[in-house]
Amino acid sequence: MLSSLPEHFRSHGLKADVRTLLLLRKAMQKGLVKTLGDIYNVLKGIIVKDPSDMGPFTKAYYAYFLHIPIKPGQTLEDAIKRSETFQKWKMDYVEEADRDITDEELVNTFLDEVHLTSYDIKEVVSGKEIWDKDNPDQEDTDPMNEDDDIPSRKLDKMADYSELSLEELLERMEKVREQQKTRHGGGSHWIGTGGISPYGHGGAAKNGIRVGGQGGGKMARKVMGDKNYFPIDRDSTLNDNNIDAALASIKGVIEESATEKLDVPETIKSGLKRGGLFIPEMSSEKNEELKIIVLIDNGGYSMAPYVRTVQNLFRKMRTRFAHDLEVYYFHNTIYDRVYTDERRTKAISIEKLLSHNKDYRVFIMGDAAMAPYEINSLSIESLKSIPQKFKKCVWLNPEPIKYWPHTYTIQLIKQLIPMFPLTPAGIERAVRSMNSKGTEG
Amino acid sequence: MAETSHWTGSEKYLCDPALAQAFHMARTLGMPLLIEGEPGTGKTELPIHYAKDRGLDLEVYPVGSKSNVEQFVARFDHVKYLRDSQIEILNAQREEKGLDSKLTTGDRDPDSLNDYVVKGPAAVAYSKPNSVLLIDEIDKAPREFPNDLLYALSHRKFIMPESGEVIEVSEEDMPAIVITSNREQELPTAFKGRCIYHYIDFPDQDTMNKIIDKHHPKMDEKVVRVALDVFYHLRRLGLERAPTTREILNWLKYMSEIAPNEAVKKIAGLEGIGALIKTQADMERVSRMIGADESFGANLN
Repeated sequence: MLSSLPEHFRSHGLKADVRTLLLLRKAMQKGLVKTLGDIYNVLKGIIVKDPSDMGPFTKAYYAYFLHIPIKPGQTLEDAIKRSETFQKWKMDYVEEADRDITDEELVNTFLDEVHLTSYDIKEVVSGKEIWDKDNPDQEDTDPMNEDDDIPSRKLDKMADYSELSLEELLERMEKVREQQKTRHGGGSHWIGTGGISPYGHGGAAKNGIRVGGQGGGKMARKVMGDKNYFPIDRDSTLNDNNIDAALASIKGVIEESATEKLDVPETIKSGLKRGGLFIPEMSSEKNEELKIIVLIDNGGYSMAPYVRTVQNLFRKMRTRFAHDLEVYYFHNTIYDRVYTDERRTKAISIEKLLSHNKDYRVFIMGDAAMAPYEINSLSIESLKSIPQKFKKCVWLNPEPIKYWPHTYTIQLIKQLIPMFPLTPAGIERAVRSMNSKGTEG
Repeated sequence: MAETSHWTGSEKYLCDPALAQAFHMARTLGMPLLIEGEPGTGKTELPIHYAKDRGLDLEVYPVGSKSNVEQFVARFDHVKYLRDSQIEILNAQREEKGLDSKLTTGDRDPDSLNDYVVKGPAAVAYSKPNSVLLIDEIDKAPREFPNDLLYALSHRKFIMPESGEVIEVSEEDMPAIVITSNREQELPTAFKGRCIYHYIDFPDQDTMNKIIDKHHPKMDEKVVRVALDVFYHLRRLGLERAPTTREILNWLKYMSEIAPNEAVKKIAGLEGIGALIKTQADMERVSRMIGADESFGANLN
């Protein structure tokens, strides 16, 4: 049941597996799930592990449970308005409300219903009472505003499933979801007057529910429009907007360790003072190591847009960590020297570069696109010698990965030095591959 | 049975409903709650106020660059153990020589290994059912620390070093564990997977108003309004280090000593703005803004 859930959420770039289902199940057993909004909440806590996951998560949730696909660049409102689910719900709702409602109000009510959580529910009232009150025959009253002092939310119908067993509930969810998807679900919807809220059609619900407080609808609305939640396309080429994400992933190259050690000289010294009673003295040691060589291709127009951003990235890194960071420049490919200044007037020989301690990590940034004859045997020798000396060496390429197979020189260099795209995600992968090499030896 | 009722904040602490729900969920499932968010959004305050409000015992483990799992759970104090056993010899020698004065081991007995187990906050919290455990700023820890915690957090069982004493807690009695992080480093995926995750949003102006009201209930309304305008204006500038809740509260604390009318003037004149701005580059930027844009500050009155 709901067995396709992990796969679906994974297809949105989220981490979900069978444990997700087990946790969801546990949450149900503990009574945390009573409404559709509760599922949103619980899954959010389980699946979302980063603020940037929020957007994709909301997207996946709407597609999976409500069959509302949100296309790239589309707002949630827009997606809802265009969805069949909403149209169906609207028909029922408008009929019932018996008054003119603007689209905006409708979307708001829809969102409120979707995101109604059991935390919002102030009071469970007898289903019969509500049933009577909202009987279609009594058309003259607006049942929502009548007697309660909770002004904000106008929702008093959501099924209470306390009577159902867990298995029944799961089964029901899956069935309803399927029906929603195949679009001929009859009267059974997740939301609104059918389905998960059986009240209203057939009166299946034993209890009605009265709600107050603020719903999660506001949150979802925000998530879709807020760049803080859809902040960074981690696969877009490095730019000023995602530089912090890149910085976060590049931080993995810092080797840090803290250990308590027996301080032998101090122990002997103080032991002798005590006349031969040696009481061990401890001292703690903290090591932070960051040794980096950055080689930047700053020749040619193709690299111009990236040079500044890349420099910015490493400058930020230097100010934060202030360790050994050396930057050199080259044009297209490396021959027998690299340059120490941006204008490429002062050079050091490749031998000098290779004389650095082998613990240095080397980042080479360039698009690796050039005329084939530019990579001559000298250049190939140099490119080979760098990863030979520095085991932790990667090439970061701003060129979109889909063009790589079509550029001969990229293919060539890729065989010499592990190449990753110059995106936050790519940098993260590069750093991870460096670190794994580190442990191998 | 651990306390799992839904807690929505206390008199002193305004708890965002989404956070309260995540916290409730974590406690119900017996999982740690991992809270991330900008500094000064009250991450650390949640467990502190929760424990205070409900009268529960609180154990705090502030994480630092030298944190290791031994400090967190328990370690065996070899140094003291050796010292005490040496002292026994010493005392015996002294007695032989007929000397009266003895060195004391301070009630510790080298024969009882338990005396030398130094229990960390985790072991203490696990041995007290229904307590609260705060692991503060886990992102400051060395990289292996969160991974070392995995076992400790998911197995509800610690074995004390050397003495072999077992501290175990049932799923029902799990302490409420809250872990905070400022996102200075990414936490391992496996670690995050074992937590309920919540990201605290920066409070909007209305919420901030309420927060200020909880801290400075006597504050003049107008002063607060003007200060908040400046505050959110600064946040929108995209500074390197945007001012946070903590800073505005400090700023207002300073302003609360001054008569309201004076204070409004001072705020509009951006006096004591150093309380809000933390870096030189930001300060220069703000000064430039004020110079370039006369309306900044002026339109706040």
